Amino acid sequence: MASRHLQSIAVGAALILAAGSAIAQGGPPIVIGSSLPLTGTVASFGQHSRWGAEMAIAEANAKGGVLGRKIEIDFHDNRCNPAEAVKSVTQMLSEKKYVAIHDGLCSSVALAIMPLVERAGIPFVVANASATSIAEKSGVGGNKWTFKVNPTDASLLDALIRHLHKDGKASGIAFLGEDSDFGRAGSDGLTQALAKLNLKLASTDYFQKGAPDFTGIFTRIKAAKPQQLALYAVSADFQNAMRQWAQLGGGVPLTGRPLVDQVPAEIMASGLLDGTTSVQPYDPSVDTPGNKAFVAAFTARNKTAPILVSFESYESIQILIDAIRRAGKTDPAAIRDALAATKFSSILGTTVEFDQNNLAHNNAIILTIRGGKVVVLGMSKT
Amino acid sequence: MDPSFLLQLLLNGIVIGVIYALIAMGLSLIFGVLEIVNFAHGEFYMLGAMLAYFVASSTTLGYWPTVAIVTATALCLGFVLYEALLASLHGEGFERSILLTLGLSMVLQNGAVFLFTTTPKMIAGSLTYSNIVLGGLRVPVLRLYALGLGLAAFAALFLILHRTRIGKAMRGVAQNRDAALMVGIDPRAVSRLAVAIGIGLSGLAGAALAPVYAVDPLMGSAFVFKAFAIIIIGGLGNISGAALAAVALGVLESLMSGFLPLVLVDAFAFVAMIAILLFRPQGLFGRGVRV
Repeated sequence: MASRHLQSIAVGAALILAAGSAIAQGGPPIVIGSSLPLTGTVASFGQHSRWGAEMAIAEANAKGGVLGRKIEIDFHDNRCNPAEAVKSVTQMLSEKKYVAIHDGLCSSVALAIMPLVERAGIPFVVANASATSIAEKSGVGGNKWTFKVNPTDASLLDALIRHLHKDGKASGIAFLGEDSDFGRAGSDGLTQALAKLNLKLASTDYFQKGAPDFTGIFTRIKAAKPQQLALYAVSADFQNAMRQWAQLGGGVPLTGRPLVDQVPAEIMASGLLDGTTSVQPYDPSVDTPGNKAFVAAFTARNKTAPILVSFESYESIQILIDAIRRAGKTDPAAIRDALAATKFSSILGTTVEFDQNNLAHNNAIILTIRGGKVVVLGMSKT
Repeated sequence: MDPSFLLQLLLNGIVIGVIYALIAMGLSLIFGVLEIVNFAHGEFYMLGAMLAYFVASSTTLGYWPTVAIVTATALCLGFVLYEALLASLHGEGFERSILLTLGLSMVLQNGAVFLFTTTPKMIAGSLTYSNIVLGGLRVPVLRLYALGLGLAAFAALFLILHRTRIGKAMRGVAQNRDAALMVGIDPRAVSRLAVAIGIGLSGLAGAALAPVYAVDPLMGSAFVFKAFAIIIIGGLGNISGAALAAVALGVLESLMSGFLPLVLVDAFAFVAMIAILLFRPQGLFGRGVRV
């Protein structure tokens, strides 16, 4: 028994030594700071974002890290609250050990972090926040340190409205979204995309995050008989909205960015949402070799399939690591310049580059629900 | 205007109003007897819904046994809450009671986040999407059940308070704790029962609404702030006032949501609360008839 223990210890020590040699001891770990909602109403999204980031870092470390050093990431909870994010990111920046700040997840939070990273001169890689104003204020917009990896609502909704217009379905869209930068970016994006076709939203309504009852507003929307309803809700709000929509009999196809992968299975199977169209930066069913490998590895690691934010964090951390590698040093300005020159092969089958607003352009996925199932209609570069 | 549209809004409003009442009555009872504002009330509603979710998803018990189990558990929890935390206040220290229940609320909410995560949980059963359809009107069956439970809870509470000795004792303690003690009423036993019933009602609300709304650790705060507004509008400690204010608020909010932006609808309860505090601090139905 004792010899078996010794054998195990020897094997363990050999593995540690092997890992140590893979990541040559070129210095202390390179640390990325991340601000995510790990508690609060959208914590389930924060958790998925965290898993995506952790997986990208684990893969990079398994390949020897970057610049011969191990990569680490510290997560700080922001509760999707800009004030909490400002507090934790200010603390992170004062510690001066982080080479870049990652994410924010909520649009309001990302917008609150932007002036902080600009003053500190640290790259900020936005993975999940979708507000168009983030990109408008970045690059030539003023903030040289913010890089938005996921597409803006405006670019996604442009792609969707073009698609709907081809089928004559772009008119008569009612909008219902959460009263936040996320929801308002959705209504602004739709308004602008429709304006290009001389069309308008049929109605615009916002609900307070966490308010569970939608029966009143759904009654009003159904009575107005719009052609489609653009719904901007996440987490428990989305689940409550879906259930109450189904209980009231639906009757109007959804559009915009409804989270079709999170619709309760029984509602999906009922066919009630057939005809729904959605545009998303990602869907797990995208049929590319890179995505299949990602879905399999993520599912094996986290015992659940990836969602949109898991993918976005995964690729944004990969892009950041790639920039550090190309910069050849951890100097923030060098990383910022390397980020700007990114040419990254996405698992969605396209090459991601940043434009003059530091906004990355990847494929948008146009989805529909047909026969109770989500079907990818196609991909369109944003 | 289509009359069925207005009727649908009215019906939605009555149901949501009774749901508000179910939560507000427990809060009002605890304030009426102990003069404690229970900031953790929403968390007991959440725990009731969470327990209902786990009972429904891990057993084959139906809706009614689940409601009974959760309500009984919440009653017991109320006893424990009183003996463990609230009894030490001895009817004094209003500020201490606020800090204590606020702290308890945070512990329960964050404990639930830690244990259950914030991923919303949905109870799906055979009745989930069943509706009663009358012409153009639709009412989900589970909302009707919640409506029935709310009305039954109000009737039972009213009968307990006005037709039983223990109810008289509660009203006695609420009116004058020292005088009640002098005539042989044990204020501690009465307070313990009031807290148990109050928490039991929040558990009942959680169980009744778990199949209606998504269950998550933060769901308590959605209703509890509105419940505070309701008990202030109805008259602090006045259960009938709270119930009437809750139904009136539910109906008004629903009717307004048919025509006005939701942001204004959400603000209505709090604007009404501020107006009441300024112009009729004793509430619409006053404190004279409390509990």
